[in-house]
Amino acid sequence: MSLTGAESYFEDFTPGDVYEHSRGRTVTEMDNVLITHLTMNTASPHFNLHMMQGFMGGEFPERLVMGGYTIGLVVGLTSEDISENAVADLGYTNIRLKAPVFHGDTLYAESEILRLEESPVRPDCGVVHYRFRGRNQQGVEVVEGERTILVKKRAFWTEQ
Amino acid sequence: MSVKRIEHGHRYEDFEVGRVFQHHWGRTLTQADNTLFVSLTMHYNPLYVNAEYARTLGYESCPIHPLLVFNTALGLSVEDLSEGGGPFLGLGDVRFFRPVYSGDTLAAESEVLSRRLTASRPGWAIVSWRTRGYNQRQELVLEYQRTNLVRTRSAS
Repeated sequence: MSLTGAESYFEDFTPGDVYEHSRGRTVTEMDNVLITHLTMNTASPHFNLHMMQGFMGGEFPERLVMGGYTIGLVVGLTSEDISENAVADLGYTNIRLKAPVFHGDTLYAESEILRLEESPVRPDCGVVHYRFRGRNQQGVEVVEGERTILVKKRAFWTEQ
Repeated sequence: MSVKRIEHGHRYEDFEVGRVFQHHWGRTLTQADNTLFVSLTMHYNPLYVNAEYARTLGYESCPIHPLLVFNTALGLSVEDLSEGGGPFLGLGDVRFFRPVYSGDTLAAESEVLSRRLTASRPGWAIVSWRTRGYNQRQELVLEYQRTNLVRTRSAS
């Protein structure tokens, strides 16, 4: 029995490859309000609809989904294909929240492998840098960013 | 008797470059938080929900997902940095230095890196901060830079 997939080891990634992740996810009010409050985030635009209707001249019709949740969900949608065999998240950079997300929007994710490196400290793993993008049901890009993960090498981690 | 209404949050004028904010509350993270976060973000890696698997990778137990550690540091920083403001625009150089486990307590602090008024949206500015998160042993667990739209005092 193997707990993780056989096709997401370090050796399986090639720079330039693009993954169109097959699952989408409709963001709900529960997701946004729960994660906002669970993380003690006190920004009213995520949880006060009445206040939001007068915010920034009424520019937004609904509560904004908290950006940290959007980032988490889009990365999550990439996770089974890209990081199921990751042993650590090393970092993220160049994250841009490009369009607002509202309850009821459905997000889809795409990833592009940017580069691969050997790890200076973990010969059993390699470093994968990839770009993730999240789009809504209209194809509008809502978030993009780069993620760096430490991924198991098949040569060290699979039974011979 | 008096009626009090205490407003929370800061404006552009409060963010002198170099000013440091030690954020309130702190938060002890638990495996319940972790399981909820990875479930609601569909983060499919057993490292965060299967303690036996986590131990085979050399961890003490399931680490708290780094994006939950990030979201919690962000949440603790909001009253000081962005509650009086506008949307979160971007993030850079998010780095994780050591694992956080269930039972560890996260505290956060931020420093103002830059601020500028916007030409296109009078009454608003763009402010960037560096936020750092520490555990109960004062060990650095993460840092990142965040940029937001922030209101000025003259904004309605």
